[in-house]
Amino acid sequence: MSPRRIWSLLTALVLVNAAAARAQDSPYFVTYDHYLEEPGNLEIALANTSGMPRGGHPTYLAPWLELEYGVKGWWTTELYLEGVSARGDGSGFSGWRWENRFRPLRSEHRINPVLYVEYESINEASRIQKEIVGAGPLSFEPIADLRQEHMHELETKLILSSAISGWNVSENVTFEKNLTEDEGLEFGYSVGVSRSLGGLASGISCRFCRETLVAGVELFGGLGTSHDYTLRETRHYLAPVVAWRVSDRSTLKASTGFGLTEASDRYLLRVGWSYELSLRGRR
Amino acid sequence: MRAILAAVIVVYASLVVATAQVRERDNGWMVPPNASAKQNPLANRPDAAAGGAKLFQERCATCHGADARGTEDAPDLSQADVQAQTDGALFWKISTGNSRSGMPAFSFLPELQRWQLVLHLRQR
Repeated sequence: MSPRRIWSLLTALVLVNAAAARAQDSPYFVTYDHYLEEPGNLEIALANTSGMPRGGHPTYLAPWLELEYGVKGWWTTELYLEGVSARGDGSGFSGWRWENRFRPLRSEHRINPVLYVEYESINEASRIQKEIVGAGPLSFEPIADLRQEHMHELETKLILSSAISGWNVSENVTFEKNLTEDEGLEFGYSVGVSRSLGGLASGISCRFCRETLVAGVELFGGLGTSHDYTLRETRHYLAPVVAWRVSDRSTLKASTGFGLTEASDRYLLRVGWSYELSLRGRR
Repeated sequence: MRAILAAVIVVYASLVVATAQVRERDNGWMVPPNASAKQNPLANRPDAAAGGAKLFQERCATCHGADARGTEDAPDLSQADVQAQTDGALFWKISTGNSRSGMPAFSFLPELQRWQLVLHLRQR
């Protein structure tokens, strides 16, 4: 069976089983909050990171596909497929990731912990930068060469998130271990603040109004490695983010990341669209 | 590429099987007394219920049903034991959710919108 036919079959399977589901509102690209996917819901997301590096290196695109599923109220699992393309260089598949998030507490508290575990089978050409760890700038060798260098990595995060008077405040600490080479433990962080722009909801349906918008900002970067406990040559970004709930099922979000250090790219532009389905098949 | 597609099919099939789960009622889901005592600031604003009805359709109807009478996934919100709870208790449950029973937390909604949902539930 050709890949095209398989994708068509998959799409048909999803649509047959789908019913309307609410869309989640998080505007972040890097930071995780404590809201997990609803049990039985599948979120399909397409997103892209466009990087504009310093030093005359070519701009690049790093698209990814995300399938996020709520297994239980306390467990969300996610599969990523990612690619890369650079102007005048080349393009190709850069790997896949399998992520799991666990919420240990039943109800919400002042600070809500979530445990995150991810396995990554990627290559050195990966540039989606869903997290930034360790130190050093991105490698700008030819993409074809970078794709030959495979990595198996294990990543864990401690996610702490709070809902404070309509604001979301989230802090993530990341630990990553390359299972292929001894690079020690790599560390990273991300902090996000956001809020819905809506107040009292109107009784009429509106597509583009304050109550469908969420805005915020996130700060993220690397914190060195266990081999070198310094912040030298680490990458850091400050990124305003905005999410627009286009419909009950779909959300569009965008951010502009400003590189704060010499090792960082000058800008990271991100855009993402997600569509949420209930596989329970009920309205 | 073929291996990845095969993996995606296996994952998808597993998910469909897993969705056969039924959400269970959690009788240990206790509301703190101070939360239960909170008054709905929109209690004298029946006009705000229309917004609550819209929010209910957007956020809650998938599980609780368009008429809030429940589905196999979530309980009937017009039942006496739900309606006997205070506004503050319903607000707390909407806000904090219950990860064991599968009820999501809606604290990301502005506070007034959560009170609008409570207002709407009172009309069931």
